[in-house]
Amino acid sequence: MATFVVLAVVMVVGALGVVLLKQPVHAALSLVGTLLALAVTYVTLEAHFLAAVQVIVYAGAIMVLFLFVLMLLNVQDAGPRRSLPGLRWAAYAAAVVTATAIAVVAFWDGRPAPDPAIVSLHLQGGSAGGIGDALFGELLLAFHLVGVLLLTGVIGAVALVQRRAESAHGAPKGGGLPGGRTAAAGGARALGSGGPR
Amino acid sequence: MAESLLIVFLKALLLAVALLGAFAYMTLIERRILGRMQHRIGPNRTGPFGLLQPIADALKSIFKQDIMPARADKFVFVLAPAISITFALSAFGAIPGGPAGSLFGLDPWVVDLDIGLLYVLAATSMGVYGIFLGGWAANSKYALLGSLRSAAQIISYELGLGLSVLTIIMIAGTLNLREIVEVGVWSVSPWLWPGLAVAFVTFVISGIAEVNRTPFDLPEAEQEIVAGYLTEYSSIKWALFQMAEYVNMFTAAAFMSTLFLGGYKGPAFMNALIPGSADWPIVWLVAKMAIFMFLFIWLRATLPRLRYDQLMRFGWIYLFEVALGAALLTGAVIAFVL
Repeated sequence: MATFVVLAVVMVVGALGVVLLKQPVHAALSLVGTLLALAVTYVTLEAHFLAAVQVIVYAGAIMVLFLFVLMLLNVQDAGPRRSLPGLRWAAYAAAVVTATAIAVVAFWDGRPAPDPAIVSLHLQGGSAGGIGDALFGELLLAFHLVGVLLLTGVIGAVALVQRRAESAHGAPKGGGLPGGRTAAAGGARALGSGGPR
Repeated sequence: MAESLLIVFLKALLLAVALLGAFAYMTLIERRILGRMQHRIGPNRTGPFGLLQPIADALKSIFKQDIMPARADKFVFVLAPAISITFALSAFGAIPGGPAGSLFGLDPWVVDLDIGLLYVLAATSMGVYGIFLGGWAANSKYALLGSLRSAAQIISYELGLGLSVLTIIMIAGTLNLREIVEVGVWSVSPWLWPGLAVAFVTFVISGIAEVNRTPFDLPEAEQEIVAGYLTEYSSIKWALFQMAEYVNMFTAAAFMSTLFLGGYKGPAFMNALIPGSADWPIVWLVAKMAIFMFLFIWLRATLPRLRYDQLMRFGWIYLFEVALGAALLTGAVIAFVL
């Protein structure tokens, strides 16, 4: 319990940092700290596989990309911007409602907690085997649907990049480079270190 | 065998000290080998065979002025080398050094995790933050270019690394590094050898890219961007980055040995020469790591650095597809032949 309290404090402070820090890179770092604390929480719950994947995917890959974009564009604190009137208060209200809803579910909902023995039996020591059985067994359809969803996102991103590339250069690129390559070549040009010669 | 927390702590401390000591002498060994390969002598003046050179280098690093760039982000600038060395050292902890209980009755590893393989990948993928943030915090264009290159490179080559590892995971059926060694991936079936051989090559290439060694040392390409992310670092913070780089090399070498070359197990014929010697802890792992360390140095002396676009094209167009092919081939063999 003491471990959880410490981790919870770290996570809440980190999450507040994401929202409140002015420098975008600091905010992103704060998010990395939050994600790591969440991974440690998974470890304390014996969900080792989930913890490792959390670190590899979120902290190791997604946040690195976030920071990459922040640094590449050199995003600075632009100060107050034009926005919809009352947006700030709407955001506050939404935060309060969400927090209340979570608190109600967490503290006042009368459902009994599942038996720890059954939970740990199904977790199978938190390793990949148990999760694999669940994902490729009873949740197979949902798993495949999520795969299709991700593929849709990737195709959408490629389509967006292609259109930008065409309009930026005035003439459509023949042959249709794969998206990854376009992005990589774009990165090379932005860095000014290689690029097509 | 559950060991007390004190023993685990002492073993972790011992491992960290051993890695840092090995780092100091690895710099000397590297400079000597590079010297020989380039027809020069290399450092041989400080002590016999230059053996005191690392100590002289360490003293020099400590006594140099520690410069903080005026417009640097001070907190992140100090945090970055700490992140680098912390995750570099912690990654090695899951790598087993011998069979259970073989180290004077103790287990020759710090932690035996069921997800040891993923743990090593996770810890090394966190290490990129050190390089990345260090370059950004220095507020210098060369350092920033270095860190951007580093991030793009590590993300790209992690795919090749992950796909090569997939071959091993499918054959061994476990993520526990000790069990992977005990299974012995090459002994399962000759049908799996083609996939394994290809995965081994792609894994070694991506591993070298992950530790930023030549020909993938773009983050600190000295002819183009001064010293990349290291440009503004001096004194002990610079030394911490160097330590992290070499410790990462050790981890990569140990990881390659553990996954593909039987890790801590010695060759079987050694048992015929000296009974039981194939089960000696640490010795065989270090011997196999030495092969890879030599390979890293050899490549540095041999190959020119890739250009940025070559690096990206190689990673995404060739390495990724070849590693994916090896994984698919292995999966097909396991599904249809075995």
